[in-house]
Amino acid sequence: MNNREIVAENLVRQFGNFTAVNGVSFKVKSGEIFGFLGPNGAGKSTTVAMLTTLILPTTGRATVGGFDVTSQAGDVRRIAGVALQEIGLDPLMKSMELLTMQAQFFGASRKEATARAKELLELVKLSEFTSRPVGKYSGGMRRRLDLAMALAHEPEVLFLDEPTTGLDPASRRDIWHEVRRLNRDHGMTIFLTTQYLEEADLLADRIAIIDKGIIQAEGTPADLKAGLGGESINVSFRDAELALKAAEAVRDMVTKVQIDRRTVRLYLAGAAQAVPGVINRLGTHGLEPISLTLSQPTLDDVFLQVTGQRFEAEPTEDEALPA
Amino acid sequence: MGVIAERRSAIAAGTSAPRGNFFGQVAMLTWRSLTITLRDPGTVIPGFIIGVFFLLVYDASLSGAAAFFLRGQSYLGFVLPLSVISTALSGAGVAGQAIVRDIDNGYFNKLLLTPVSRAAILLGPMIAGAIVIVLQALAIIVAGLLMGLEPATGVVGLLTLLGYALLLGMGLSGFIVGVALRTGSPGAVSGVSFLFFPLTFLTATFTPINLLEGWIRTAAEYNPITYILEATRGLLNTGWNAEALSRGLTSSVVIFVITFAFALWSLKSRTARK
Repeated sequence: MNNREIVAENLVRQFGNFTAVNGVSFKVKSGEIFGFLGPNGAGKSTTVAMLTTLILPTTGRATVGGFDVTSQAGDVRRIAGVALQEIGLDPLMKSMELLTMQAQFFGASRKEATARAKELLELVKLSEFTSRPVGKYSGGMRRRLDLAMALAHEPEVLFLDEPTTGLDPASRRDIWHEVRRLNRDHGMTIFLTTQYLEEADLLADRIAIIDKGIIQAEGTPADLKAGLGGESINVSFRDAELALKAAEAVRDMVTKVQIDRRTVRLYLAGAAQAVPGVINRLGTHGLEPISLTLSQPTLDDVFLQVTGQRFEAEPTEDEALPA
Repeated sequence: MGVIAERRSAIAAGTSAPRGNFFGQVAMLTWRSLTITLRDPGTVIPGFIIGVFFLLVYDASLSGAAAFFLRGQSYLGFVLPLSVISTALSGAGVAGQAIVRDIDNGYFNKLLLTPVSRAAILLGPMIAGAIVIVLQALAIIVAGLLMGLEPATGVVGLLTLLGYALLLGMGLSGFIVGVALRTGSPGAVSGVSFLFFPLTFLTATFTPINLLEGWIRTAAEYNPITYILEATRGLLNTGWNAEALSRGLTSSVVIFVITFAFALWSLKSRTARK
């Protein structure tokens, strides 16, 4: 099999005085699913734009499948499939036209391209909607067609920039299923940026967390969680002021305290056994919790720890964000 | 992996970066631009009306005054090329608006992410814009014939005139496409089309160039549109004139080369490492 690695070495990208990506390095192995997580404006899409040849790095270098994104851009485009966060479909065109042209751009004959387009429409469940202009598709249908466009030439490396943002839960699961299948059956290397920690946790072999243009943490989801040092007791109060007092009251009992609005997270080994002691201490300070939970670290906690902020995805149309 | 991946590998084996079939790509992208134009014809219809309007108004208001220098030639044949060029300015906006539209709906990025030749990506809408200009010119010619135009060089001359319209259309489209790539703004594109308009007046607009005097004569001599006007006026009024035709052809080609280079450079600076 061909080299399907993605390598970034000290990538920097400036827009005027603003540094969107500030020295990012990572290596994605052939056939791996790599999750790229970060809050809005962290530099995720700028990194994708550099890796896919849409913009040049200010400094640093990157290769995709062994091809340099600056000096061998044509080769990168040939082997990479890309679905950007901003869907790229002409609303006046029809799905067959778009897919057939897309396959032909990558060297397919008209006949091959037509067959491929039909296959892809089947795959993304849009075969019944070929007569409708793309402009009349729903958001989910457009997202699926955009993914099909990225797959038109059976790419070796697939870049998916927030592929499920704005999708309903059922469509999201369809995409997850498809991402796994492409990775498993075709050995595609998949570079996935996402707003959903759950998504990265479920799909990615390895994850990098980017914030303010810098990679803050990198590893397998399990490693990242283990790196936090275990479980936590999460105690919520009526308001943030009480939470602050509680944190002070118990600080000496735990290895680490984090305050997240009205909730105090107490990280310590043997959290379950420590609950009575914590309750007692809070009681002597006259602090009454309104809820108390125990938790194993989640990727959300990892995120909170490395970026100092809660991971905030934009709410989708039809469901609240998984906490 | 399926048939497309195999073909792609075969292409890749030949060259470091696949060129595919450049002309096939240009044809596909031109076809696509024309299809889109037909599905949303609002931007091109005014051009057809305006072209014929120019012809009617120029002819009606100036033919009497022009009689002294025409020496029996028809003023209709004299102003028809001017009408075509004035209309071409509005027609070129079609290519620019198509690019702005693609940037806006994200399809432009989709194209840039394919190995398709960057030149083909720009030439598609430019040729489509030029074809619209030719059709608008054809409408003006038909109107002219109905008004009694008798072209000195016959049908072949009229086809040659359309050829000039195509070339000039490509040249004007190149400039507008460059502006579209730099600004991504529909307002800037129509604004710049409008700025071009005075160029048609800094030439031998309503009289032959030898009747112009002073600074406007200098301006007209440097304005490449003057030579395109002279070449095409000759086709309609006096007959085949190789020297005028080749001067007109050179001017059109020079305009095209310069503006297309500007368009390519504008595309390149979109990705620059600022």
